Amino acid sequence: MRSPSSLKQEFLKKWMMGLHIYGSLKKKMSLLERKKAIKLSADIAMASARNGTTCWSRALVANASKDEQDKILVQHILGTESERLMKKVSVLPLMSNKRIRSKKVLRRSYGSIRRAKKSNIAASPPNKVLAISIAKRLVRKRTLLLKSLVPGGEFMDEIALIEETLDYILSLRAQVDVMRSLANASELNNKN
Amino acid sequence: MERIDGTGARSVQKTPEEEATALESIQFTDEIHRLISAPSDNASSFTALLEMPPTQAVELLHSPESANLISNDTFKPPHMEDFKGRLHFPTNIALVERAARFSVFAGEGSNNTNIEKNSVETALNDSSANLKKAVKSEPAETESSQPLVSDPTVETKSAKRKEREKKAKGSAKKSKTAANESSDDAEKLPYVHVRARRGQATDSHSLAERARREKINARMKLLQELVPGCSKISGTALVLDEIINHVQSLQRQVEFLSMRLAAVNPRIDFSFDSILTAEGASLMDSNFPSIVTPLMWPEAQVSGNRQPYQQQWHFDTLQQQVWGREEVCHNYITPENSLLSYDSSANSATLHPNQLKMEL
Repeated sequence: MRSPSSLKQEFLKKWMMGLHIYGSLKKKMSLLERKKAIKLSADIAMASARNGTTCWSRALVANASKDEQDKILVQHILGTESERLMKKVSVLPLMSNKRIRSKKVLRRSYGSIRRAKKSNIAASPPNKVLAISIAKRLVRKRTLLLKSLVPGGEFMDEIALIEETLDYILSLRAQVDVMRSLANASELNNKN
Repeated sequence: MERIDGTGARSVQKTPEEEATALESIQFTDEIHRLISAPSDNASSFTALLEMPPTQAVELLHSPESANLISNDTFKPPHMEDFKGRLHFPTNIALVERAARFSVFAGEGSNNTNIEKNSVETALNDSSANLKKAVKSEPAETESSQPLVSDPTVETKSAKRKEREKKAKGSAKKSKTAANESSDDAEKLPYVHVRARRGQATDSHSLAERARREKINARMKLLQELVPGCSKISGTALVLDEIINHVQSLQRQVEFLSMRLAAVNPRIDFSFDSILTAEGASLMDSNFPSIVTPLMWPEAQVSGNRQPYQQQWHFDTLQQQVWGREEVCHNYITPENSLLSYDSSANSATLHPNQLKMEL
């Protein structure tokens, strides 16, 4: 498995590269602009550390490249892989959308058939059925929420969603670690 | 089934009901032997074929690879005894197919290849015919794979792979075909075996659902281990709750940290030289946080205000180790404070905002 420290190092490198590019582009930036720049380069660096292997990284890159301004930064950080990634990125959400939609249609049809069958069979104690349905509703709600959190989550089915969440959490942790240590270091530095 | 040691022993012990399952497991070894013993496949009975000694097959195939196969094959049956619950049939089939491939492409003569092809096809036909009584859904699949058999012998897709073998409580056994029967290596077999437990529905829908649910549960377990504090919780909804909270807190931390970083520098260039000289440590080191915190401690002593910094330091180490929701509220405090003053008290989370304001 990818080691966390190598992930951090790669992230740091790419992040610094992005920041330098930003710094060269604009001379004076307000606080908010700076914050946005930092966050953006951090996110792109994180995504590029995964190199297009995961869905969330591709979705992140896709969202970033929608804005023309940020697109330049994205291309700089990604470097040579940018063209390849862009192709993957543009194709994927459309295809998966169709796939998900057709799957949903199928699943709904299965459900209706099964429900018709069940209505004929004598129902188990209604409490159980109620509890089960409530639990399912809760889980569904939370899955939707998780899908909104993980970038590109709306296009994934449950199994892929969980895998992506796993990877996303790991990368987020590495990102937070590096950012925090950098922040601490620079603040200490400023005091001196 | 007498001939094969491992499976034979198993079938003898089990009830006739479960002999159906044993039969299916025998099918593979059976097919191996049938593939080996080429011409005499016209016999319809199992036992006649199974009694075919492997040594005869060597002469039939006229190739050294088959000798390897046989020697490996005689290895396999005793091993199968050990694999009581898990049988790695793909290796058998892989060997068969590899041997077949070699003998086909080794160019030992066209008659050889023809024999191979015919033997494979007849083997499949026989197997499908024989197993019709034993397992109902099997022949449907093998027959559906008949058209594929006309392709080179490599693609004998009668081989199925047992993905998960539960304990044999099941009375019935079905196999589930994947959507696409791809013609690649034997390792990537399209069929997935899911054994139905006792008293559970065995139609393909519920089986598919069960396989899917198991996949989801396995991955949820991984997630539970990753997110701290989730392993004790039971129930999908609550676990998902925790996971969502964790992801949200991580994302918020990124926001606040980027705000902090933006506030620290008037221009976004983090020159490492100055940082490194200050720290005397490399940022590349993943132990960086632990290095930072001891350095903060002498800082604290200089400023003379011990107590809040003590708590601060203690809390910072906690922060590194414990990924909890407590971090979120501290990050609420930090950016604000760092904006007000570049005091070191803003560096990491403090327990009480009041204390902090007193210092300021």
